[in-house]
Amino acid sequence: MRRFFLRRVFLSLITLWLLATIVFVIANVLPSDVGRTILGPFAPQESVDALNEQLGTNDPILEQYVRAMTNLVTLNFGNSFQSGQPVGPLLLAAIGRSAQLAALALILTIPIAIAAGLFAARRRDKRSDRAIVLLGVTLSSIPEFVVATFLVVVVGVQLGWLPVLATPPPGAGTITTLRFLLMPALAMAVVYFGYIARMTRAGAIEALESDFVRTATMKGLKTGQVMRHHVLRNALIPTVAVIGVQIGYLFGGIIGVEKIFNYNGMGQLMLFAAQRKDIPVLQAGAVIIGIVYMIATLVADLIIAWMNPRIRSEMGD
Amino acid sequence: MDYSRLDPIRRRASAQELDLVESFAQGRISRRSFMKRATIIGLSLPTITAIVAACSDAPSSPAASGPAVTTAPGASATPAAAGGTIRVATQRPAASLDPVAMQDLGAYGMIAQSFEFLAALDQATGDIGPGLAVSWTPNDDNTVWTFKLRPGVTWQDGSPFTGEDVVESMKRLVVAGNAGLKGVIDEASGKVVDAETVEFTLVSANGNFPYLVSVFNAQSVITPASYATGTTLDAMPNGTGAWKLESYDNASGARFVRNDAWWGGPTPLDAVEYTFFAETGPMVTAYQGGQIDAIVQFDVFSGTALFNDANFTVNEAATTNHRQIWMRVDTGQFVDKRVRQALALSLDREAMVQQLFKGKGQVANDHVIFSLFPYFDEGTPQRTRNVEEAKALLEAAGATGLEAVLHVAELQEIPDLAVLIQSQAAEAGITLTPAVESLDTFYGAQWCPGEPADPPCSGAAELGIVDYGHRSTPDVFLNSALKTNGVWNSSQYGSTDFDAAFAEFQAAVGVEAQTAACAKIQANLNDEVPIAIPYTYSFLSGNAKTFTGVYSSALGQMFVSSASKVG
Amino acid sequence: MSATTTAGVPPAGAAAPGQAAERKQARREVLRLLVRRPGFIIGNVVIGFWVFCAIFQLAPYDAFNDFDLGHLPPSPEHLFGTDRLGRDVLSRIIVGAREVFIVAPLAAIFGVVAGTLLGLIMGFYRGLVDDIISRIVEAFLSLPVILVALLTLVVLGSSTLVVILVVGILFTPIVARTVRSAVLAERQLDYVTAARLRGESGPFIMVREIFPNILPPIIVEMTVRFGYAIFTVATLSFLGVGIQPPSPDWGLQVSEEYSNMIGGVWWPTLFPALAIATTVIAINLIADALAAATSE
Repeated sequence: MRRFFLRRVFLSLITLWLLATIVFVIANVLPSDVGRTILGPFAPQESVDALNEQLGTNDPILEQYVRAMTNLVTLNFGNSFQSGQPVGPLLLAAIGRSAQLAALALILTIPIAIAAGLFAARRRDKRSDRAIVLLGVTLSSIPEFVVATFLVVVVGVQLGWLPVLATPPPGAGTITTLRFLLMPALAMAVVYFGYIARMTRAGAIEALESDFVRTATMKGLKTGQVMRHHVLRNALIPTVAVIGVQIGYLFGGIIGVEKIFNYNGMGQLMLFAAQRKDIPVLQAGAVIIGIVYMIATLVADLIIAWMNPRIRSEMGD
Repeated sequence: MDYSRLDPIRRRASAQELDLVESFAQGRISRRSFMKRATIIGLSLPTITAIVAACSDAPSSPAASGPAVTTAPGASATPAAAGGTIRVATQRPAASLDPVAMQDLGAYGMIAQSFEFLAALDQATGDIGPGLAVSWTPNDDNTVWTFKLRPGVTWQDGSPFTGEDVVESMKRLVVAGNAGLKGVIDEASGKVVDAETVEFTLVSANGNFPYLVSVFNAQSVITPASYATGTTLDAMPNGTGAWKLESYDNASGARFVRNDAWWGGPTPLDAVEYTFFAETGPMVTAYQGGQIDAIVQFDVFSGTALFNDANFTVNEAATTNHRQIWMRVDTGQFVDKRVRQALALSLDREAMVQQLFKGKGQVANDHVIFSLFPYFDEGTPQRTRNVEEAKALLEAAGATGLEAVLHVAELQEIPDLAVLIQSQAAEAGITLTPAVESLDTFYGAQWCPGEPADPPCSGAAELGIVDYGHRSTPDVFLNSALKTNGVWNSSQYGSTDFDAAFAEFQAAVGVEAQTAACAKIQANLNDEVPIAIPYTYSFLSGNAKTFTGVYSSALGQMFVSSASKVG
Repeated sequence: MSATTTAGVPPAGAAAPGQAAERKQARREVLRLLVRRPGFIIGNVVIGFWVFCAIFQLAPYDAFNDFDLGHLPPSPEHLFGTDRLGRDVLSRIIVGAREVFIVAPLAAIFGVVAGTLLGLIMGFYRGLVDDIISRIVEAFLSLPVILVALLTLVVLGSSTLVVILVVGILFTPIVARTVRSAVLAERQLDYVTAARLRGESGPFIMVREIFPNILPPIIVEMTVRFGYAIFTVATLSFLGVGIQPPSPDWGLQVSEEYSNMIGGVWWPTLFPALAIATTVIAINLIADALAAATSE
């Protein structure tokens, strides 16, 4: 087990390095005048040249790369090209916000989705099962920005039940914060419900059809017991895997929702940085998102291993 | 015409003032033109009122409808409950709040809360009025301008405001290449005459100089003499203005609190809270959700709900905000002026105003002397759509089947404008392909690339659309975009006739001379069409009716220093 | 995605003609199962409708140059109303179908082809090659697709070709991973060992032996990727870095009009969104049916 863990961490580090390199390459692929982008089209050329010297954008690309990598390793994220503020606190704030939203979205989605998935698996191919599957497929096929827009207009404006801006005023208590985050969280819950429910259903079906369960049922164990002890554990395996991947997505992949609710999570931060070629923010942000993804999938895999002894022993190799 | 009332004034007047009064008294210029011009040359309001009163039957008060101010009704009503915070929605500033280098409306608005101008926005007239300078006068040929500074003004850090601050601020702007002041003053122009007087000796005569150091040249705020270039408001909060910056986060918003030492006295409101948005839509929903009280700027589409909202005051002001469709006159397919005229003739301007602004705009005539200006000459016929003539011109120039890429930035309605132009030009046989880029990329790649640096903008694309914000005088448009080697001259226009007419305009003394020069400018631009300008559009802003006394310029500067909460 | 072969048929190579005939029969069996599933039928009807629109573009008005009054609500003249510039929404949706059915499939095909190649190599050769490529694949996977696409498009500028390439490249790792698992499962089976003993070369085994047997999951993956491609392209257009105006691309239409919903103008946003949703749902229905049919 420990070997597995260590090996995963080691491989993750390599992947992170590759990630940072990829982002660096993309951001530097075209010659773009960083100084000019920051100072704008009206600044005199001398100021632009001076700024470029200062930022080191005229150095050979290899030198810039080495510098960028060293900085990342020593957690020196540098200063944003655009605002001159240190990148670290900027990222931290954005991650905090993304984390809050992600947590709420998951809390809303997971219990309902899993329950629905199990419910559907037990009534396989009956009408309720078909309905749930269809609902899941439909909901997950609607782009999240469309769902978000409907929520804003209907719940936020027409009905006035919830605030339309997701950012709570500073110093807000937990309840107030929840109210503000509820709509974007709902938007995401609607979209993810489908994935998670269908994964749970697939896992539960496979578990229900397995020899183990058949034997247990024949031995006379009550259905409730069977469900709880075995099926649930095995149904959750693909579900946990999916959730692990989705967590990474919640941190930076939901730019559409953030845009509509004017929520300054990682998505908006990266969108802004991309538009303004703010390389320090882009690189640090990409690495952070990568780390979140790594941790999420690693934890997911660990949970799966704990739930299924067979996989646990497989992982030993 | 009661000349007896006029005589005392005339006796005290300078040569310029005399000229102006005469023109008005003899009906050669309209009252509006007179008042605008009088304000520029520094005649005080009481004097103006007296003159206008002398020249009409009924006593008059200065017109309250200016071209570029938006005033909430009841602005001069008795101040209501003191205290309260107004929450304003605005575009996120593009970078940090650098008063010298800023270019976007988001930053203009922020800076204008703490810093002030020599000439401020006069709420009543919408024109310029006393700010940090209480009065100003030109000499006889507009080459030397003298400003009397307001006494008793202090900086937020306690130090006194002096002429030194004014001179240094202007120097900094000259060094930074500020668009408005380029070629008008240089580093040696400003001089402190005494504790309350500053004098500017211009590089070349300019009759509109006060506008260039007013709220309408957003970067011309007065900063402390010790402010080095590159200092930003958020790094070093300071200013002479009514509001002190308490906190600023480029991602979310800013908060200003009352400056107790402001020369204008205590503000009715306690604080101003700005929330930054990336788009206008969420601003409107935020207002509808009760989280925002005022919106600095919105467009007709996102503001649809606001027009019908009984609890919201919409302020609509005609402005000189416009779009320039530039065409390279030196290389490429638009070298022949007949081709440029053809493109201009294919435009359906009324339809554009209707479709893009729901009518809240005005048709323009391919030149930058807009009808808002007092020296606008009515002699240039308005170009209207004529597809047949366009086709004929193209054929004569051998350009039938013209194909070109139309470069535009992702900004407000410009992509839609490109779509309309594409469709309209197609009927004349011109095939255009729109190419949309983000604003930052566009400026540097298509409009004025850094290379080649000389002449400026000589790397510009063959055809593109660029945005121009509101100005109260056309100096910036003429100087930067159209004069030979202008810093923003993307069309690479270089006409000696135009340059001469422009010089004439700048040196012109008196509205009539200015109008005469403008007639030449208008005719020249309308004929050569280096830039096609289809329209100007109105600036829309507004606030909830729970606040009164809010007014804005068309440059994103919303003023709440005399605003108060109602009930 | 199960990589097991259809029940009862031994995996075949370039072997006896009898086995080829058996394979053909199995395929027909799968097809019969497919056709019975309602999801498959509905999915195909919907997709068929959109493909028809894409090919023939029978629209009541010119989607580009016909300007009526802006934001007219749905009426007999304009079934879906007009957009802000006065263009008929229904016409734009019909014409926009072509954009969707060119860009998305191309991106999906690109991703699947590249991903399959990669997956085959990774799964078959294993060892160092697999490890290195796996790391790169993981690196790509840890960044949300949208983010990388956005970054690349901002840098390279948006054009249809770039969009296709970028989305395709971003799908490659995901497909590669799926194919890799399938190949891993296959290579342990007897027929592969038999082929190796026979002295067949690596590429030969990959292409002629393994590939035909992992075709079912690849087909399912392709269909799923198609759905995601539509999604991703729509989101990129929504963020302003995808297809360029005045294209009637559905995602672009939503992007251009969604803020008008606040003013009560719901139709230019709703109908393109529904078009996206129905297409993706239909594709998912087909994909689900395929997956179910090939694993039975």
